[in-house]
Amino acid sequence: MAFFMAHSHHHIIPFRTLALVFGVLLFLTLVTVITAQIDLGVLNVPLALAIAGFKAILVVCIFMSLKYDNPVNMLTAVIGIVFVVVFLALTLADTEFRGYMGITEPAGIESPAP
Amino acid sequence: MNSADTTLKHYFVSHGQQFDAAKLGMWLFLVTEVLLFSGMFVAYAVYRSWHPDVFLHASELLDWRLGALNTVVLLASSFTVALSIHFVQKGENEKVVVLLIMTLACATLFMLVKWIEYSGKFSHGVFPGAGYDPMGIIDGKDYSKYNIPFAPQFFSIYFVMTGIHGVHVLIGMGLFGWLTTRVARGHFSPQYYTPIELTGLYWHLVDIIWIFLFPLLYLI
Repeated sequence: MAFFMAHSHHHIIPFRTLALVFGVLLFLTLVTVITAQIDLGVLNVPLALAIAGFKAILVVCIFMSLKYDNPVNMLTAVIGIVFVVVFLALTLADTEFRGYMGITEPAGIESPAP
Repeated sequence: MNSADTTLKHYFVSHGQQFDAAKLGMWLFLVTEVLLFSGMFVAYAVYRSWHPDVFLHASELLDWRLGALNTVVLLASSFTVALSIHFVQKGENEKVVVLLIMTLACATLFMLVKWIEYSGKFSHGVFPGAGYDPMGIIDGKDYSKYNIPFAPQFFSIYFVMTGIHGVHVLIGMGLFGWLTTRVARGHFSPQYYTPIELTGLYWHLVDIIWIFLFPLLYLI
């Protein structure tokens, strides 16, 4: 019985923690808007995705309380992310190596390159 | 165990066990939601890598100020949801009602901004797919200059991704409206508040999707 009762006490996340996370999320939104105005070349997309990824981790761990949860929920979330990575990586492994795709003239599309 | 307690199903040993089972089920559902959206994110990645300049150029037609406003609005709604769970755990249900109504207000504001954006695009001929025929001038931008090959692909992806995201927001609004009446009717206590917890998880996921959509569609 003690085993089943172990989780019956919910972890109450302190108001301060929630407010702090909200503040950091707003700050990071400002950072992503500002950095997007500056041209960083090839770093534009990775930086924006890194900031978005960090924001997502904050929401998942604190707002969705995964940090304080039964670990099986974390396992489920991580498996979901692994699925997405496999999906993206295998699709791009195909589409990135198909050669030139910029032909817009009907003749160019209909007659395959020699 | 109190037999008058109707919130605990007979096949669970305790509220803790029932809560954990429900939450795991919700996480499994959220994984399917992530996979639903990941199909669209993969489409975005493929078409962007094929036509990076077109995506960069076409995204100029989206107003990043409205996108940023909606990001702040959704983050605020996630905060109010997290707080509503904090206070239902403490048994302060009056605050929960207020916070859920604030969440509903944020979601409504989000959809209003989305409506302004969509109607602005439609009135200038920016439709998804074959209907794409941009025209007119807004903020010094000559829309007719954006009638370039593969720009319709960007806007098809924009409308489908934000559209399906918007449907999720509408569903969330329905759920929060229902929860607000249930809290007001005294259905929840620190011992039993599972529907708020699960709807909160759903809402945070909708927020996370937007956290990625905002930079990908409006900024870069």
